[in-house]
Amino acid sequence: MSKLNIKNLIKSFPSMDRPAVNNVNLDIESGELVAFLGPSGCGKTTILKMITGLFQPDSGDIILDEQSLLKIPTEKRGVVMVFQNYLLFPYMNVNENVGFALKMKGVDKNIIDQKVKEMLELVKLPDIGLRKPKQLSGGQQQRVALARALISNPRILLLDEPLSNLDAHLRDEMRDLIVTIQQKLKVTTIFVTHDQEEAVLLADKIALIFDGELQNFTSPKNYYEKPKNIKAAKFFGGVNFINAKKHNDNLSTNIGTIHYKGENYTDLNEDNIITIRPENIKLSKNNDFNNNSFKGLIKSVIFSGTHTRYKIIVNDLELECSLQSVGLQDIKTDDTIYVHLPSDKIWAMNE
Amino acid sequence: MGGERLKIILSLTPPLLIIFTLFFGGIFYGFLQSLGYQPAIGKYEINFSAYYNVMFSERYAKLFWTGLGLNLWVSFASTFLAAVFALFGALAIRKTFFAKTICNFIYSLNLPMPHLVVAVGIIFVFSQSGLLARFASQIGLIGSPGDFPVLVKDKYGLGIILAYIWKEAAFFFIILMSVLQSLGENFEELAQSLGANRWQRFRYVILPLVMPNLFSASIIVFAFSFGAYEVPALLGVIYPQMLPVMAFEFFLNPDLNARSEGMALSIIIAIIVMILVVFYFWLTQAKIRKD
Repeated sequence: MSKLNIKNLIKSFPSMDRPAVNNVNLDIESGELVAFLGPSGCGKTTILKMITGLFQPDSGDIILDEQSLLKIPTEKRGVVMVFQNYLLFPYMNVNENVGFALKMKGVDKNIIDQKVKEMLELVKLPDIGLRKPKQLSGGQQQRVALARALISNPRILLLDEPLSNLDAHLRDEMRDLIVTIQQKLKVTTIFVTHDQEEAVLLADKIALIFDGELQNFTSPKNYYEKPKNIKAAKFFGGVNFINAKKHNDNLSTNIGTIHYKGENYTDLNEDNIITIRPENIKLSKNNDFNNNSFKGLIKSVIFSGTHTRYKIIVNDLELECSLQSVGLQDIKTDDTIYVHLPSDKIWAMNE
Repeated sequence: MGGERLKIILSLTPPLLIIFTLFFGGIFYGFLQSLGYQPAIGKYEINFSAYYNVMFSERYAKLFWTGLGLNLWVSFASTFLAAVFALFGALAIRKTFFAKTICNFIYSLNLPMPHLVVAVGIIFVFSQSGLLARFASQIGLIGSPGDFPVLVKDKYGLGIILAYIWKEAAFFFIILMSVLQSLGENFEELAQSLGANRWQRFRYVILPLVMPNLFSASIIVFAFSFGAYEVPALLGVIYPQMLPVMAFEFFLNPDLNARSEGMALSIIIAIIVMILVVFYFWLTQAKIRKD
């Protein structure tokens, strides 16, 4: 159980015209499972490599349990990384692969054998110890890589795109295994992913990174309900954005005044942006709503199985709404409709 | 079906004819000569006396066995040291740095050099009248160039070993660089995060990963240095003499009867190299079966 603090971390590479990691600050609590989420090339793996010590930061600090890691060599940090392509040593069998870290520490062979057995049972592969990596499936290789990382009781476990090389079925299985093991061992874990769904399903908290800059670090739920900025909202599927101005404790927009209940009203700038998720918008042919109701015209209807997606034009503004297909009213293109934006589902942001 | 087969046979015949006539034909005729069959000088009898003479006769046995010992020593030492130098060279300059291209060029420079030129270069640099000896004498390390240790034309084949290291390290280097660059650094980084120090990463990660390629290249270099003539001829001494030089001297002998001994010696050299190659293939096949 270890607590990790990342302070003002900056890293540049000569080949890049912007810092690969630009002033990142993060406090990761002991035993947390954190996702570094962002598109390819945003700097998330670079941060991971700085935590392991494979890259040295240009400035800033990485503190593990109140002690700076910068002067400690990689092999002594107790920070173990599982690489995206597993990297099982091809010339070793599974037992030798899993026991590698203990062998490097000079642990007695009998103890290594015992620990290897325990680890393979933990990842639910008790009978494959004598096989070579090429005799294993992708999912098995990933599990062996995980067992190899966990055998030395790392202070921090780093997983680089742990599910990206697996097919859909194995992904679900592996995801469950990672969560189960992480909760059992309570090891502080950071994983890198570009898959928003993977981050939401696995992580206690998500650090969203764009162009080397940390956009937001909060729980998955908050990314959907209370995103910090448009970039964060868009990454999590946000499509509805309305320019607004503060006005008498409410927000004034070009479709009308919007009643707002968000707790961040006082922190909002004069000019701000409202967002609402498509699934939170309500539609009605009659004006059944008390407030935040606006008359619009259906531009398109797209049926996608369980849900139906509507594009609605309200006073030149296009909004998207997603409703469950079951029991839906008969709404067609060019119908006039009332759009309701529930005040408890609206969120306003400064950026 | 029959037409297809005929087509294949007809298309294979020209290259096979050339291979059999020029290669196997030559070997077969050489083998016949080693058995004493030399119609040109009226010898039609087939026997193994040339082999016996070379290996066990009072006249040649000592030359042969010391020559074989020197051959094995020179080939093993030069192959091993060239591989070691190339491995450390490749490890040192595989990462990107400002002078990498120049270093790469310098390391690979002697690959296209003929062995003969390299041998002459060794004489210029390492002999007692060479550059190093004169330089050492100039700066007062030794009294005169003649005090410089005998590294060329010495009985331990040091000059020959130096020439082969100089020449073959470039060959190893090219192979190792391509292997190391295709492997990348991920395995080492992983091992480092698992607690392996620099030595352990070399011993348990780099070495096993490059070993198959290193081993294959070693077989090629060993086979070459075991059978090559020109470098030992230039840099070796009269006694002990490496086997290819000894074989060539049999051929140069005005007495045509000695040609059978020369052929027998050449066949012995070829058999030793073949045994090593077969042993290598047996080893790799056994490893594949085990995997």
